[in-house]
Amino acid sequence: MKFLKFLGTRIITFVLVIMIGVTTIFFVPRFMPSDPVENMIGQMISKQSNMTPEAIQLYRESLSDTFGLEGSLGEQYVGFLKKVFVTGDFGPSLAAYPTPVMDMVRRAVPWTLGLMLTSTLISWLLGNFIGLLAGFRKNKWYAKILEGMAVFLYPIPYYVFALALIMIFCYVIPVFPLSMTLDNMAFDWSTISTILKNSILPALSLILVGLGWWVISTKALTTSVVEEDYVYYAKLKGLSQQRIMMRYITPNVALPQITTLALQIGGVFNGALITEILFGYPGLGKLIYTGIVQADYNLIMGTITISIVSITIATFVVDIIYPFLDPRIRNT
Amino acid sequence: MKGKFKSIMAAGLAVAMAMTAACGKDTAPPSQPEVSETVSEANAKTTNAEKTIVKEAKTDGDDANVEMTDVGTPRNETLIVDILNGNSPDPMQMNPYLPGCVALDSGLHQLVFVHLWEINSVKGAQEPALAADMPEDISGGKYTKFRFHIREGVKWSDGVDLTAEDVEFTADMIMNTPEFSYNAYFTSLVKSMKAVDKYTIEIELNNPETRLVDRLGAGYTSSFKVVPKHIWEKEDPKTFKNSDCIGAGPYVLTKRDEQQGNWYLFEKRDDWQNTDVGIKVGEPGPKYMLFKFFGTEEKRVMAAVNNEIDILQDISPESWEILRKKNENFKAWYDEFPYADMDDACARGISFNCEKEPYNNEDVRWALTLATDIKAVSMATFSGMLRVTPISAPPVSVVQDTYQKPMLSWLKEFELKDGYKPFDDTYASSMVEMLKQQGIEGLPSDEEEMVNTFGVGWWKYDVEEAGKLLTDNGFTQKDGKWYLPDGTLWTIVLNAPADFEIESMRLAFAVADSWKKFGIDVQVKQLDSATFWNAESTGDFEAGAYWPACGNTPDMVEGLAGWNQKYYKPTGEIAFNNAGGCRYKNEEISEILDSLESVPPSDPKVIEGATDVYKLLVQGRPFIPMFGTSKFVPVNTTYWQGFQSSTNYFEGPWWWWSQFKYYTPHFQPAE
Repeated sequence: MKFLKFLGTRIITFVLVIMIGVTTIFFVPRFMPSDPVENMIGQMISKQSNMTPEAIQLYRESLSDTFGLEGSLGEQYVGFLKKVFVTGDFGPSLAAYPTPVMDMVRRAVPWTLGLMLTSTLISWLLGNFIGLLAGFRKNKWYAKILEGMAVFLYPIPYYVFALALIMIFCYVIPVFPLSMTLDNMAFDWSTISTILKNSILPALSLILVGLGWWVISTKALTTSVVEEDYVYYAKLKGLSQQRIMMRYITPNVALPQITTLALQIGGVFNGALITEILFGYPGLGKLIYTGIVQADYNLIMGTITISIVSITIATFVVDIIYPFLDPRIRNT
Repeated sequence: MKGKFKSIMAAGLAVAMAMTAACGKDTAPPSQPEVSETVSEANAKTTNAEKTIVKEAKTDGDDANVEMTDVGTPRNETLIVDILNGNSPDPMQMNPYLPGCVALDSGLHQLVFVHLWEINSVKGAQEPALAADMPEDISGGKYTKFRFHIREGVKWSDGVDLTAEDVEFTADMIMNTPEFSYNAYFTSLVKSMKAVDKYTIEIELNNPETRLVDRLGAGYTSSFKVVPKHIWEKEDPKTFKNSDCIGAGPYVLTKRDEQQGNWYLFEKRDDWQNTDVGIKVGEPGPKYMLFKFFGTEEKRVMAAVNNEIDILQDISPESWEILRKKNENFKAWYDEFPYADMDDACARGISFNCEKEPYNNEDVRWALTLATDIKAVSMATFSGMLRVTPISAPPVSVVQDTYQKPMLSWLKEFELKDGYKPFDDTYASSMVEMLKQQGIEGLPSDEEEMVNTFGVGWWKYDVEEAGKLLTDNGFTQKDGKWYLPDGTLWTIVLNAPADFEIESMRLAFAVADSWKKFGIDVQVKQLDSATFWNAESTGDFEAGAYWPACGNTPDMVEGLAGWNQKYYKPTGEIAFNNAGGCRYKNEEISEILDSLESVPPSDPKVIEGATDVYKLLVQGRPFIPMFGTSKFVPVNTTYWQGFQSSTNYFEGPWWWWSQFKYYTPHFQPAE
């Protein structure tokens, strides 16, 4: 009964967060100083300088109608909610008209998930492992070296770091291509190997830059946990170092890190814009960027809604499984 | 524990090394034989050739040294062109009449689509392309009905004849599809376009029109693209994506990056003789054309150094400096300073919203002109590699010969209201002196050459006169800062492009620096492209680094139309065009432009009238024209020759324009 009440509260929060997020993402682009119709008219008249004012007005009406921007804001909002919650359709992208936004999202999601999930998980595993070592075996040489490397990489701006990787591995020692070249999308070894080859460098950049934070935070947590009474007690009991680390320290350190990991996994749907631009990697980040730069309302709403929903789901899942992981929460 | 940890570390290291080793092995493109890597001996002479990876194709056990591109074509048969506008959200959308079409300069309008007439930017005139001739007026001098012919023998890439019926079908389709962005313009211009016989078209217009070829022909591109009737008549044009892209250009699209539109591969048609290029110029050289997007400027330059690009589009002077030192096979328009081509069709400068105070006062606009240290702005923007223009016309050679040079005596004698003569005709020679002191070599020495390179002159940098103009209008200066007549601190918000259109972006900061030194508080506001254009179009700006002065032919009537007050729209409403963004009204200008509308382009009255308009725009200053657009468009001579340069030009280095198709027969494999 207690759990059902807990679950009910979480579900209500989940729905509310999504509603507020989706409503915000509907209205915010409409208050931007740019407008997709005026933007397109601006581009058109800069090339076709002799359009009469009447022709411009006809063009404006035609574009508004084509893009589904006719009607009051309220009418557009109701239409938008219907589309999102009933049909899951965000309409056509204005930047790639008449391609539906969902087609573009569907094309980008596997790339983003493949890169971001893999790099987030590897970074998390490696970072926590090194952080644990650095906190628990802080006087060992290998712990110091690994921690030193992570701390060294952490403050480097991502753009600079990624560009340095490109210069080293695509230019000085050209083992990777400068830009991604996918010849076809057949499911065969050739395609898979091309994708892997083109993904290694972007993944490496994300892993190495992400590593620093995990190492630093895990080390801080480990150092704190090591000082706890129950760890002293375990040592006094004569338990092995390995057992103390695996049974007493790791679970307590891992809990907050799992929460952060879950949120980061939810956030992978934001894509990795700089990575995608620098490495020419396809993904959601570039779609979001295109939507903003070209004032493509439908594309912005489609991509950001997916991001909002995924982060909310991740938070919801963490909320639900946390009591199973942490007896303290379960008992309260 | 210690032993276990060491084992884990060793295993990890081994895996990492294995991965690195595996990654080092190149993989064959799917459609190609197995390949391995060696260093190209052929490229060893270039600075970076050591880094160039060359793949040896192994076919049935026979080794043949064939360097391949990463899309599986022989490198020596492939001309690789940098895509200027990045990748496309949907690489399959190639319907040029819908707003989401793949960027036309990804090779589409250069190699596949055809236009009736195309500009020759050297002559500054439209020439027949798909059309066999120029339109003939058949309305007895009313200019409402014309006849023209299309070339016989042109075929679509699927082998079907291209006839007048395709042209008529295209016109009808545009007029019957209001969803097309081009519909409104086209229907306001054309009443009907009918095929009289297989190769003859008659076109009837809604209003008299003396510039039909400018309206329907191509400058950078043309909106009127003839489409194959036998394909399009079976489709709904509102949703048809035209992914197969059947065209009548000399190349066909054979492969593309379907995921993100990073590249498009075109192959020369076997029947290239059946294209307007084949008929007019000859056989295109390269078998393959690869249009490819490499990403950021750093990556584009690295790719160029590695010989992965043959034609690089629009880089900064700093990148050119790196490139020319790293790869000697790259050539710019000029062999020496200023390297860049300066004949691009727009003049850059600062636009004002002439409805906003204090910019509604021409004295203020003149004060800001005289407070601009143009030499410093030129150095800060493009290291001095810029040609100035004192009038609102781009300093394109053909335009400069028609307007700027003949207007020189008038410019020298031009006076402000207080009798001050602001023109400085020593700009070119003082730029040469300044650059000489910086150790720049290869500078022009005779006066004509100096003017051709740096322009006829500009306005004096005279802060005293600028201050006088402001003081006369109630402005005050305290502690080195200028205050508005109402006593508040004068702050100018100057719009600038954010990370696009690099020349205007830099120009904005350089001008702001000049004005700050003069004592004005200037804030440069960088905007993304949608917001930047929206602000100009709706008048939501005070001043901005825009470029409302475009044109590359002596007939500038169309380029000046935006200054006609009959098209005026108040701030808040969308402007007629970029010039209209300035919200400047001048009756005299409007009368001249009205009278020129019905004058044929070849009539001498056109140049006389346009000259008068330029004089009035000098007085009024709604826009401070500064420089033409300098384009660094380097080409790589490692694999191909026949590129244009300042000593060998037949069009202009406008690789992103549709006229590029006519350059293709000039490209031949390098010796």
